Amino acid sequence: MYNYTHYPAVISPQDPTLLIGSSLVATCTLSPDAHLRAEDLYWTLNGRRLPAASYAALGPTTLSVALARLNGSKQQSGDNLVCHSRDGGILAGSCLYVGLPPEKPVNITCWSKNMKDLTCKWAPGTEGETFLHTNYTLKYKLRWYGRDNTCQEYHTAGPYSCHIPKDLALFTPYEIWVEASNRLGVAVSDVVMLDILDVVTTDPPSDVHVSRVGDLEDQLSVRWSSPPALKDFLFQAKYQIQYRVEDSSEWKVVDDVGNQTSCRLAGLRPGTVYFVQVRCNPFGIYGSKKAGIWSDWSNPTAASTPRSERAAGGCDPKGGEQNTTLRRELKQFFGWVKKHAYGCSNLGIKLYDQWRVWLQKSHKTRNQVGKEPFTLLFPGSGGDAG
Amino acid sequence: MLNVAGDLSGDSWGIFTFLCAALCNLPALPALNCTEELGAGQSIQKTYDLTRYLEHQLRTLAGTYLNYLGPPFNEPDFNPPRLARAERVPSATVDLDLWRGLTDNARLAANYRAYSRLLCYLRALEGPAGTAELRHRLGHFCSSLQGLVLSIAGVMSSLGYPLPVGGPSAPPGTPVPSNDFLKKMEDFWLLKELQTWLWRSAKDFNRLKKKVPPAVVTLRLEARGF
Repeated sequence: MYNYTHYPAVISPQDPTLLIGSSLVATCTLSPDAHLRAEDLYWTLNGRRLPAASYAALGPTTLSVALARLNGSKQQSGDNLVCHSRDGGILAGSCLYVGLPPEKPVNITCWSKNMKDLTCKWAPGTEGETFLHTNYTLKYKLRWYGRDNTCQEYHTAGPYSCHIPKDLALFTPYEIWVEASNRLGVAVSDVVMLDILDVVTTDPPSDVHVSRVGDLEDQLSVRWSSPPALKDFLFQAKYQIQYRVEDSSEWKVVDDVGNQTSCRLAGLRPGTVYFVQVRCNPFGIYGSKKAGIWSDWSNPTAASTPRSERAAGGCDPKGGEQNTTLRRELKQFFGWVKKHAYGCSNLGIKLYDQWRVWLQKSHKTRNQVGKEPFTLLFPGSGGDAG
Repeated sequence: MLNVAGDLSGDSWGIFTFLCAALCNLPALPALNCTEELGAGQSIQKTYDLTRYLEHQLRTLAGTYLNYLGPPFNEPDFNPPRLARAERVPSATVDLDLWRGLTDNARLAANYRAYSRLLCYLRALEGPAGTAELRHRLGHFCSSLQGLVLSIAGVMSSLGYPLPVGGPSAPPGTPVPSNDFLKKMEDFWLLKELQTWLWRSAKDFNRLKKKVPPAVVTLRLEARGF
């Protein structure tokens, strides 16, 4: 391990910032008491030795290296250009920041939860990768008042997002924009203008209950409560329901629910488990004609439609048929006993039980073969019953 | 007594709550006289456990951070030079005989001071560090390390030792890195020293655990039986 009293060499330029594709000549100058000479030195960039052909001794204690057409930095902390002594020891280092200036951030979208806050997200400009650490700042101001505010809580809804938790005015337009900056420059997005009331969303409806409608096998009734937060402001809310069969990933959407808090789903498949979700759009807040932003879907609620009793199959035979079955069983049992029992002492209930077990096992295989035809009896079971 | 500076992410609150619960559950031992020695035994065990946990966490954190610094920092045999004069980062390299010859109080105090300073430097990394994932890991680790500092303070006070006074600042005259490459080297050594400190602290706490009188150990086992 090397321990120095002070640094044995100095690199110039120290920690430069460069545009992709530019060239650079760096020098390593030894301090007078380093007891080394230029020809004892070599360079590495990100741990890889640079070719001696690119070196030039500019004096007895100064060695330069020429780097051409630099690529974007391998890591955002900067490329590591290092000057070494012959035995590999590190004499000095310089971090190269090679990249592009930022592009204008785009696609700013904002929403307000229950008119209490504002969350905005955006996308970096088309290039995306600048190879340099890029800082994003969301700024906003009331259109008619002129003082810029800066958003503080970042990454609340993804990497390019910010949350403004309070002190927001209603019924008045805001100007919102995003500034991107890195070592090579700054880019400002277009300004977005909005009124908080135009981008309101709310919580999903609560207390979603799905239940059967009596014995009706193709219907389910869905009931919910309007989200509590908007009780005071909401004149109307629009709702949407989506539902799917348990083993399908295709959701069916019911769009024309209006502002009721219940709905009946019809045309469903009997004896099937359905998952149901509801979401809410705050509509007509403070008399506005505009719709807001749809809430998240409520957590899925499951329910099943009744199964029709008509279906024949897989059931135990009823009434008089049972006796015949029992007799048949006994006959089979005695036949089996003759084959497998050795002497009278083995006859007994245990033997009978063994036989029952054996019988069950063989019944199972027989039943599995028998089940398939029954599913074909249901009309429309191909999947379009909904 | 608990001062939490800075923001804690969700996961950090989890570990911090666990630590608070761990440190605070001493009075909850049923039907036992809580003597100071009983408290010390449990404190030491928990401090030991926390040290091992941090050792484990550090492995992943260091890997991620060194990759962020880029080669050669993340190469396995990387061994950059250090300035011989006073360093900002508390060195874990000690004369082992000297170290073992210290009193428990002195050793605990040295641990306390070292981790307080290491915590400060680690917190400073949180700002500029690259990806959100890295910042999150650093934040989580800092919370855990804060827990260790508090835990050591708990052990010291339960053994009747005074807490070291003065802030966790570097000795006067230590140089601040004057360029980004030197800063990277300091970061590298910060992680390396932290690793060695944790490794040695685990041994220290293990030894301290054994020094606690056997009667206390029995009591502790009975408590666990509940």
